[in-house]
Formats: sequence, structure tokens, C-alpha cells
Amino acid sequence: MVATEYYVALSAILFSVGAVGFLTRRSAIMIFLCVELMLNAANLALVAFARQWSSAGVATAMNGQTAVFIILAIAAAEVAIGLGILVAIFRHRASTNVDTLSEVRF
Amino acid sequence: MSFAASLDFTWIALAPLITLLLTAAFGLFAALWGFGSRPAAGISLIGLVTAGVFTFILFQNERHGVAGSGFGLNYLVDLPATAFHFVIIVGAILAVLISYDYLERAGLEHTEYYPLMILASVGAMVMAAAGDLITLVLGLEIASLAVYVLTAWRQGARESEEAGMKYFLLGAFSSAFLIYGVALLYGATGSFTLPGIAAGAADPQLGTALLAGLGGLMVLGGLAFKASMAPFHQWAPDAYTGAPTSVTAFMSVVIKVGAIAALLRVAATFLPELSPLVTELLVWIVALTMIVGNLAALAQRGVKRMLAYSAVAHAGYLGLAVLAVDGGGMRAAAFYLMAYALMNAGAFAVLILMSDRFDHGDDLERFAGLSRSRPGLAAAMAIFMLSLAGIPPLAGFAGKVLVFGAALESGYFILAVIGILTSVVAVFYYFRVIAFMYFREPEYAAPSYRSATTGWAVGIAAVGTVLFGLFPGWWYGLLEVGAQIVAGR
Repeated sequence: MVATEYYVALSAILFSVGAVGFLTRRSAIMIFLCVELMLNAANLALVAFARQWSSAGVATAMNGQTAVFIILAIAAAEVAIGLGILVAIFRHRASTNVDTLSEVRF
Repeated sequence: MSFAASLDFTWIALAPLITLLLTAAFGLFAALWGFGSRPAAGISLIGLVTAGVFTFILFQNERHGVAGSGFGLNYLVDLPATAFHFVIIVGAILAVLISYDYLERAGLEHTEYYPLMILASVGAMVMAAAGDLITLVLGLEIASLAVYVLTAWRQGARESEEAGMKYFLLGAFSSAFLIYGVALLYGATGSFTLPGIAAGAADPQLGTALLAGLGGLMVLGGLAFKASMAPFHQWAPDAYTGAPTSVTAFMSVVIKVGAIAALLRVAATFLPELSPLVTELLVWIVALTMIVGNLAALAQRGVKRMLAYSAVAHAGYLGLAVLAVDGGGMRAAAFYLMAYALMNAGAFAVLILMSDRFDHGDDLERFAGLSRSRPGLAAAMAIFMLSLAGIPPLAGFAGKVLVFGAALESGYFILAVIGILTSVVAVFYYFRVIAFMYFREPEYAAPSYRSATTGWAVGIAAVGTVLFGLFPGWWYGLLEVGAQIVAGR
């Protein structure tokens, strides 16, 4: 059995890649993808921890697995809303570059 | 939590939520059948009032010691939850009243508007009642996803679209942190329930303490973002300014109640158990929020943006209550949020009557001479400004006294001093609006727009602000009984 630490390390790397991508990417689509990566990193961590707790004999260990389904549903809903807003906004604009969204200022 | 406990459906505990979900569904069906959005507003009001009645029954039950919960303590109907539900319902009713004529005038009448508002209220109510972190995340997402759409409601207007996009992207980013934090807390303690995490964190083993601390920081950051606390507040001024004003009134009240209620519950259970660093960080966040919110509000010329920064500042005062949760902070926050809901929604309602159909014309200069052209409106705005500034005998003053008192009782002396000093700064920018209304010659034509429902909202909010200030015991006294903040602790 692969130790839980490796899974958690992988999930931490995925999460960091997502967070760095969120902060550096300029295209709204890529930013969405980075958020998805972060959410899936959390899912991976949850599944790994659930396996660890169930092998430790904790009765509620399956809660971690069910939580993953809930978070998958949340992620799907978030994408639907996000793409909806994106389409509404960028219908009249040439690019999906978020730097063009800087009208509201002090 | 055993399997049997997880099948513990207590329908009466869920009655307010089910009422609101049915309301939203009816509203959407009204759209399908082509009734337009005006009946949806009526349906929403009826639904909200019914949910308010159910909440009141549950509130009274709880005061007489009949604690309710559903799904094996994952959904709590204790005194704080019902109290916050009540505030959310009041805020939502005011928002529906404000929206009714505003939408028609602004050409934003789409039927989905009111159902989305109701769904966002449901999300905030779930956040306030969450007994475990997955329920909390679900409630937060239900509330946020609906509000993202409402923020971008004014299609074709750049400010609104930009506000919606910024709010959505930053909101998704922060909820990813929150969810990852939940995963780490689960890894450290093996539980999602608030008491379970507190118990698991109380006897740390090597390695899990790090996970728990990191998870706690991430959860704190995610919730502080939703409550618009500095340094996670950057989205708030843009989203509040760009969104249609009725939506701003709604989200500055309802989403904040949900986020603060969740923070209170988390702070009352496991947050202090994780690591001293987490509490320390919360202290810095609260201090920074009070300072940044008030100083930035001072620099604004537009009243809408000034109110947006003032919302950040009030999140700081509510943060004081979160820190003082063991010293009566929960009661103080419930009172403060009720006062805040009334005075803030009222101020935005006045702003709607002042500005044109594109939400333009909220500059301070527009308020000049308002006391002569619209004396009633000017008097209501003066009440809201005085109350937001914390001048006795209005509701905002009573709220501030309770929050600062709770902070002092819990030993946060320096923070309370910062709070009082920043309140003095706040007096300056709130009084500037009053000075323009009463002591300046008008520069523009007097605003001529009138609306019965928005007028009602202004009236209810003004009367409420005065009454809660004169008789704070009405609401605060009701919150006295339930000593237990969270079942299981």
C-alpha cells in the first residue's frame, strides 16, 4: 500500500500549481481550469485521508469519500455559473483576457 | 456519527429552508408559465414571511429548551442559528421590497431574479446552521453561486459584468482554499463535524498538528474572504459598486450574516484548539479590517463606494465579536447584525431613490440640499448615517457597545481601543453625507424618482433602526437563554 504521505504531497503540489496558475494566467478560461485543479487537489487529499482513516478503523472514514462527491457537484455547478458569466461578458469583447476588466477603480 | 444518526431527518427543523426552496421553485415555474417577475416578488415575500414564522416557532422552542437538529447534528437549529436566520429573513424581505420598482425602472426584470435571491438566502441560512464543515461549504457555495449571477445582472453594463467576473473568480479561488482546508482538517482529525474536529485537535500527534494548523488557516482565510475582512476584502468595493444597487443591499447584508455566523461557530469550537497562530492571525485580520475599511471609506467621493468600504469596516467590528465568542460575542454579533441589516439596507434604499436608472449619480454633491427638496428622504438617510456611525440612541450605537463590551470582557483591550478610535474616524465620513444634505446649497436638480415599495423599505428600516436603538433589550433579551453555543460542547 502506498503511504498516505505521497498522495498528500501530490495533492499539495497540484494545489500549488493551481494557485500559482490562478495568479499568473491572464485568460479567464485558464483561470477556471486552475480553480478546478485546486478543487481536485482537495478531492485527492480527501480520498487519501479517507483510506488512511478506514485502515485505522475509524467508523466515520467513509465520510471523506462522500465529501468528494459533494465537492465534485460543487465544482460542476461553479463551472456552469462561471462559464455563463464568461459568455455573457465576453460576447461583446474580442478576448477573454481578464486585464480588460479594470473599469471600476477608485 | 453512526449511519442511523445520519438518517435523522427532522423536517420541522428544516421547515424554514423547505419553505424558501418551494418559494424559489414557484418563482421559477412562474417564469416558465410566462407570468413575469412581478408575481415572483409577491411569492417571494409570502415565502419569506412564512419562513420567518417557522423560524420564530423554532426560536421559541429553542428558548424553552427544545433543541432541534437534523441529520445527526450536521444541521443545527439552536438559538444562534435561528437568531441569524431571522436576521437573514429580515434582510431578504427588505431587499425584495427595494428591488420591486428598481428592477422595472432599470430594465432588469428577469424572472430568475427573486428565486436567485431566495436561494442565496437559503445558502446563508445553511451556513448559519452548519454543524459540520461539508454542510458549511455547501451553504457557502449555494449562497455564493446565486450572488455571483446577481452581481453580473446588469448585462451590457461594464461595471456590473466586471464586478460579477471579479467576484466569481476571487470567490472560487477563496472557496478552493476553504475546501482544501477542510480536507486537511479531515486528514488531521478524521472528522468533519465541528465538535469532532475540536476533539481530534485537542490531542495532537506528531505531524497532524501541522496539518490541523494549516487547515485552520485556510478555513479562516476562506471565511474571512466571504465576510470581506482585510486583507481578503479587495473584491468587496468593486463588487458592491458594480452590482445593481438592490443586489448590493442584499449581499452586503445576507452574505455577511452567513459568513459571520459560520466564523462565530468555527471560532466557538475548533479554531482555538488548532494552534495559537490561528487565533493570533484572526486578531491581526480584525485589526487590519477595522483600520483599512475606515481609512479607505474616508477617501471616497461616491456614496455607494463609501458604503462598500463601510461594509468592510463593519466586518471588522463583527470580527471583534467573533474573537470574543466565549464572552458573549455570539449575542453581541446577533444584535449587531440585526442593526446592520436595517441601517445598511436602508442606506442603499435611499441611494436607489437618489440615483438614476443606471445607478449613476451617487456622488456626495448630489446629496447637497436634499433636506429642502426631499426632507423625509434626508431625515431617513441622516438616521442611517448616524446609526452606522454609532451615535446614540440608534441601533448601531447599541450594537457597538455590545461588541466592544464583549471584546473587553474577553481581554482584547487593544483591539477594542482600535475599534473605538476607528469609529471616531468613521464619524467623519458618515457626517460628511449629513453635512452635504443639510448645510449645502443644491448643485443639481432635486431627485424626482419616487417608489412606494422602496419608500416602505426605507420607512421600515428607519423605524427599526430607531426602535432597536431605544429598546435594545427587545432583541438582545431574547437571545439570553441558550447558553450552549454548539451542541456537543
